[in-house]
Amino acid sequence: MMNRPDQANKPPLLEIRDLCLSFQQQQQLAVDRVSFDIKAGRTLGLVGASGAGKSSVGRAILRLVKPDSGEILFKGKDIYGMNRQELKATRQRIQLVFQDPSASLSPRRTVEQTLLEPLQHFAIGDANHQRDKARQIIQTVGLDKSALQRYPNQFSSGQQQRIAIARALVTNPDLLIADEAVSSLDVSIQAQILQLIQMLQKDFGISILFISHDLAVIRQIADDVAVMYQGQLLEQSPADQFFSEPSHPYSRSLLSFAQGHTPKNWQGDKWQLERIRKSAENSFNCVFSDYCPDKMEICENQEPAMHNIQFENQHIPEPHCVKCHLYDEVKSHDH
Amino acid sequence: MTTPALKVTNLSVWFETGPGRLTVVDQISFSINAGDATGLVGESGCGKTMTAMAILGLLPASGIHVRSDGIELDGRDISTLNPAQRRAILGRDIAMVFQQPATALDPVFTMGQQISAVYRRHTEGSKQQVRKKMLEALESVGFSQAEDIAASYPHELSGGMRQLAMIAMATVCKPAVIIADEPTTALDNRTRGLILEQLKQLQKLHQTAVLFISHDLSVVRQICRDVMVMYCGRLLEITDCHSLFANARHPYSAGLLSCIPQISDKRPAQINSIPGQIPAPSDLPSGCHFAPRCSRVEAQCRTSVPALDYADGRGVACFRPL
Repeated sequence: MMNRPDQANKPPLLEIRDLCLSFQQQQQLAVDRVSFDIKAGRTLGLVGASGAGKSSVGRAILRLVKPDSGEILFKGKDIYGMNRQELKATRQRIQLVFQDPSASLSPRRTVEQTLLEPLQHFAIGDANHQRDKARQIIQTVGLDKSALQRYPNQFSSGQQQRIAIARALVTNPDLLIADEAVSSLDVSIQAQILQLIQMLQKDFGISILFISHDLAVIRQIADDVAVMYQGQLLEQSPADQFFSEPSHPYSRSLLSFAQGHTPKNWQGDKWQLERIRKSAENSFNCVFSDYCPDKMEICENQEPAMHNIQFENQHIPEPHCVKCHLYDEVKSHDH
Repeated sequence: MTTPALKVTNLSVWFETGPGRLTVVDQISFSINAGDATGLVGESGCGKTMTAMAILGLLPASGIHVRSDGIELDGRDISTLNPAQRRAILGRDIAMVFQQPATALDPVFTMGQQISAVYRRHTEGSKQQVRKKMLEALESVGFSQAEDIAASYPHELSGGMRQLAMIAMATVCKPAVIIADEPTTALDNRTRGLILEQLKQLQKLHQTAVLFISHDLSVVRQICRDVMVMYCGRLLEITDCHSLFANARHPYSAGLLSCIPQISDKRPAQINSIPGQIPAPSDLPSGCHFAPRCSRVEAQCRTSVPALDYADGRGVACFRPL
């Protein structure tokens, strides 16, 4: 397998450093100084409410939008410093699966045409090899090769999502960005697609940035969890740590809601309803301070730093950091 | 015995197509009492929305056939109403909350105008009274700044706010029955929790009967006492949520339950799913429709249709229930 012991010393597959991204018309920061890494073969679950900036991060990685500042390094190379050729080569290594398969597949192309296009675009092999590859990949995702000659509308939504995943995998990417890839599917079909993604992780050793608002789904396949809120990354933890004991108050409330109960001392009953009137102009406080059940005086006056926290009993080398004043006192090594 | 708020008897919906009849809802019967919420769960295409539309009489007249032995609203049969009579009850006695508030709401009117219009249609009142009722409806779903929301156009609201505004619209006349079709499916966990909570409170307050349609059993569990499991147009199991989650009797219900992702301390080693795929309505297997995917299948299942048998208040349509 590709997981060699010396992997820990290698640079991460993807490094995001202080990424900022704004949309001019709204004059609002969609992504606010976000930093995280994805290591080879690992799956990072990026979670947050709608509008938190999750998808914007995914789009920035593919250079579909231009960030205001910050760096995105893929295998140590800045994606935004690349020339056309390098960018093309990189895009072959990073592929995307969207939420709505019926909208992301071309209705006028057969499945085979859809699968061949990336191979032709990147000039991978000759025509025979490309057709073999298409046949092989459609079977990998659990469809019969007769599917190749049919059109997307002849498939159910679950099958369409399998085709979308096949399309993303056909170039043998190193990193797959799955943006709410199972959110529009029924639970039973969602389970089948998650099974498929789990199998791909094991068999191909692929890295995945799995963007979802659904913590229960993230629990099924993520190695690490990152939480975004109003454009900021508030916590990143190994999944087992996150789901047994989330560190940030916002993460705790997210987890409580996902488990179907309202968190203790919950202040934010109306937060979602009034948020739209609020602009995010000031960064002199914690973005979550208005609704935080553990709010202290400092939270309204000073923006918390990102603390790298390591608990005594924890020997996992994976990053575990939280942006919250509660951890100011905890022995912290700054990032 | 009290009259149920909504009683549906032997409702069927089918299409006549060239090669034959496509049945999408197959002889289903159920009732909901005032103040109760009942969930209708099943995968997409199983006939949940068709059931709702048939109850409301919203299906187009051509091409789709609806037959029933009665759809009763507080004891009054609404399946035979003419269009004018039907308009008089829609919104007043029975209302619907749709899945996509963005498309169900009119983009060129403010929320206040749209909610007032529903109220005015069914009730006499001065401008001030109508406005008062409209603001009350918005407040009752949890908006603290009802005036602002009333002045907003749908696009100015977030998805969750739109959905709450739509619930306000459905409840402004305090109908006896609300049909909510996947009202929280497009929303994130937290907004979903909020909306379910508001819906639950309203339901208690006005003793509304709610038919809650969803593909997500975990959502149904949060709001409903009873649940019906639908597959390929048939009801396979009718029971209370607690019993279903404790021990589902139909193999399909059990399969659906095992698919729900759980948040546990350990990451699951294996993800469960139901093998196989839902058959197309043109290609339904004879006998029990679930037989080809069922792990407990026997010869009888493939030839004859199991009836929905009731015992201890639970109904299950299976020859070999769990």
